[in-house]
Amino acid sequence: MRSRVVMRLVSREGKVRYMRKRVALILSFIVACFFFFCGTLHAIDVEDLVRDAVNYYRGDASFSTVDMTIHRPGWERTLTIKAWTKGQKDSLFTIVAPPKDNGNGTLKRGKEMWMFNPKVNRVIKLPPSMMSQSWMGSDFSNNDLAKSDSIIEDYTHKITGTEIHDGKKVYVITSMPKPDAPVVWGMQKLKVREDLIFLSQEFYDEDLLLVKAMTGTEIQMLGGKLFPKIWKMQKTDKEEEYTVLDYGEIVFEESLPDDLFTISSLKNPRR
Amino acid sequence: MYLQLAWRNIWRNPRRTIVIMTAVVIGVWAMIFLGALMRGVSAQMVKNGIATLTGHIQIHQRGFRNDPVIENSMHEPEMVEALLAEYLPSDARWSPRVRVDAIANNARHSGGLTLVGIDPEREAGVSFIGQAVVKGEYLDAGDEYGIIVGQALVDKFETKLGRKLVFMSQDTERDIASRAFRIRGVFRAEMEATEKQYAFITKGAAQKMLKLGAGISEISILLADYEDAESVADNLKEVIPPDSYEVETWRELLPLVTAVLKMYDWFIYIWYLVIFIAMGFGIVNTILMAVFERIREFGLFRALGMKPLWIVKEVLTESFFLLTLGMIIGSGLGLLSIHALADTGIDLSALSEGLEFVGMSRVIYPVIIIRDIVVANLVVLVLGIAVSAYPAIKAARFTPVEAMART
Repeated sequence: MRSRVVMRLVSREGKVRYMRKRVALILSFIVACFFFFCGTLHAIDVEDLVRDAVNYYRGDASFSTVDMTIHRPGWERTLTIKAWTKGQKDSLFTIVAPPKDNGNGTLKRGKEMWMFNPKVNRVIKLPPSMMSQSWMGSDFSNNDLAKSDSIIEDYTHKITGTEIHDGKKVYVITSMPKPDAPVVWGMQKLKVREDLIFLSQEFYDEDLLLVKAMTGTEIQMLGGKLFPKIWKMQKTDKEEEYTVLDYGEIVFEESLPDDLFTISSLKNPRR
Repeated sequence: MYLQLAWRNIWRNPRRTIVIMTAVVIGVWAMIFLGALMRGVSAQMVKNGIATLTGHIQIHQRGFRNDPVIENSMHEPEMVEALLAEYLPSDARWSPRVRVDAIANNARHSGGLTLVGIDPEREAGVSFIGQAVVKGEYLDAGDEYGIIVGQALVDKFETKLGRKLVFMSQDTERDIASRAFRIRGVFRAEMEATEKQYAFITKGAAQKMLKLGAGISEISILLADYEDAESVADNLKEVIPPDSYEVETWRELLPLVTAVLKMYDWFIYIWYLVIFIAMGFGIVNTILMAVFERIREFGLFRALGMKPLWIVKEVLTESFFLLTLGMIIGSGLGLLSIHALADTGIDLSALSEGLEFVGMSRVIYPVIIIRDIVVANLVVLVLGIAVSAYPAIKAARFTPVEAMART
C-alpha cells in the first residue's frame, strides 16, 4: 500500500516536470517563430505591410462621420463630414454641418474628382489646375485625396527601424518614390504598428526636409476594429496651421453599392 | 545774288543766328534720336514676339486659335509637313510643337504655365530656346523625362538642376494626365515673364503624357526675312486645305504688337509735329525780328526797283540757310548719338517690371530707319519755310515811303 502511494507520488512529480519542459519548449518555439516571422517581414513583406496597412484603415468599404477642424493663427472652424469609401479608389464626402456648408460634396472615382455646391446647384469636375489646391480650405490637398493609393503604387518601401509604442512594435518605413513616378515628394516616412495601424505619415521634399506630417492618435475600438480616432495634418514650419480629423463614428462594411459613388448621389446625399 | 545776300544777312547778327540755329539743331536731334529709340523699342517687341515661340508663320488646326485645347490639335501633321517640305523656300526653317497649359508642382509650390513639347533639333533653329540654356544642357530628342525651365521659375519654385517637377494637365480623353520631369537645363530669356511662362519637354514626352499619338498643336515657320511672311503665307494658304488648317503670319498671331507698331508710326509723326511747333515759333520770331530791323533796307530795295516777290525769295532763302545748317548739324549729332548707343543700348533694367507688361526689353537699342530721318528733315524744311513766309510777305509789303518814314 505505502509503496504504491509513494510510486504514484513519484510518477505525478515526474509528470509535472515533464509538462513544464513541454511548455517551455512550446514557448521557445513560438518565440523562435516570431523572430523568424519578423525576419521575413524585414526582408520580403514591406510592400505587403504597407498595402495591408492601407487596406486596414480603408477597409473593404466604410461609412464614417468625421469632424474636421481647420486651425489657423487667427481662426478655427469645424466641419462635420459624412464619408463613404470603397476599396482604394472610390470615396464620397458630404458636409453636414455647419448649416452654411451643408450639402457640399466631393466625389472621387479612380483618379478623378467632382465637387458639388448646392448653392449654385452645379457639379464641377476638378480640372488639373485645382488638384493641388486645398480641399475645403484644409491642409489636405485635392491630390492627397485623389491619389490616396499613390503610396502603394509610386513608392518603394524599406523598413529602416522599429520602435515600441504602448507595448507594441512599430515599423518605421522609409518610402522613396520610383524614379519617374509623378509624385512631388522626395521621400515619405511611415510608421505602421505591427497590427497594421498607421501611426504617422511624413512628407519630405527632395532635399529630404520635412514639409508636412500626418499623425494618428487615440487608438481605440471604432467600428469593430482598432483605429486612431484623431488624425492631425500639420505643416512643418507653421505651428499654428493644422487640420484635425476626429472620427466620431465609423462602420466598416463588406461592400457598398456602386451606385453610391455617382454624381447623382453626390447631388442628393444620403442622410 | 539771293544766296549771297541771304548768307551775308544771316551773319550780320551772329549771336541771334546761332541761338535760332541751336533751336533747330536740338529739334532735329530730338526728332531723330527719340524716333530711333521708339523704332528700337518696337523692333525689339517684334523680335521678342517672334522669338518667343511665334515665328513668322504658324499653322494650326482650324479652331485651335479660338480654343487652344488639346482636342483641337493637328492629328495628322505628316500631310502638312510633306507640303511644307515641298512649298517652303529652301532657307526657311520650321518646327512642330505640342503646346498645352499645365500645372507644375513640387513639394512646396505649384503654379500654372505653358508646357511646350519640342523637337529639340528643329526647334533650335526656330525659336530662342536653342541658344538660351545657361545651366545644364539642352534636351536630347529621346529624352522622355527631361525638362528645361526658366531661371525665374527655378527661383519661384525653390528648385534646381536635377530636381523633379510634376506636371498635370488634361489629356485627349479629358482625364488628368500627370507626369514627372527632371530639370535638365535652365534657360534665360529677354523677359522674366517668358522664363515663368514656358517649360520645354520633348515632343515625344508631351505626346505620351497627353495621349496625343502623333498629333501636334502647331507648326512654327521662320523665314530668312520677316518681310516675306505675307507672300509665303499666301503661297501656303493655296496648298494647305483651308477648311481644316489655319495659316497665319506674325502680324495676325501678335495682334497687340501689330497694333502697337501702327500706333508708333503715328506717334513718331505726331512727335515730329510737336517738336516743330515749338521750333516754328522760334523761327518766325527770329525772322520777324530780322525783318523789322531792316525795314529801311527793304524800302530802299523797293525804291531801287526790286519786285516784292524777290524780297520774299530773299527772306525765304535766309530761313532756308538757317534751317539747312541746323538740320545738317542736328542730323549729324543725332546719328552720332545713335551710333554711340548702338552697342550698349539704354539699360532700363530698373524699370523692367513695368516694361515687360507691354512686352518691351530690358535694353533698348536705337534703330535707324532712313525714312524717319528723311521725314524729320522734310518736316523741318517744308514747314520751316512755310512759317517763314509770314515775315517774308510782311517784308515785301513795305512801301518805300512807309519804310523811309521809319527811322
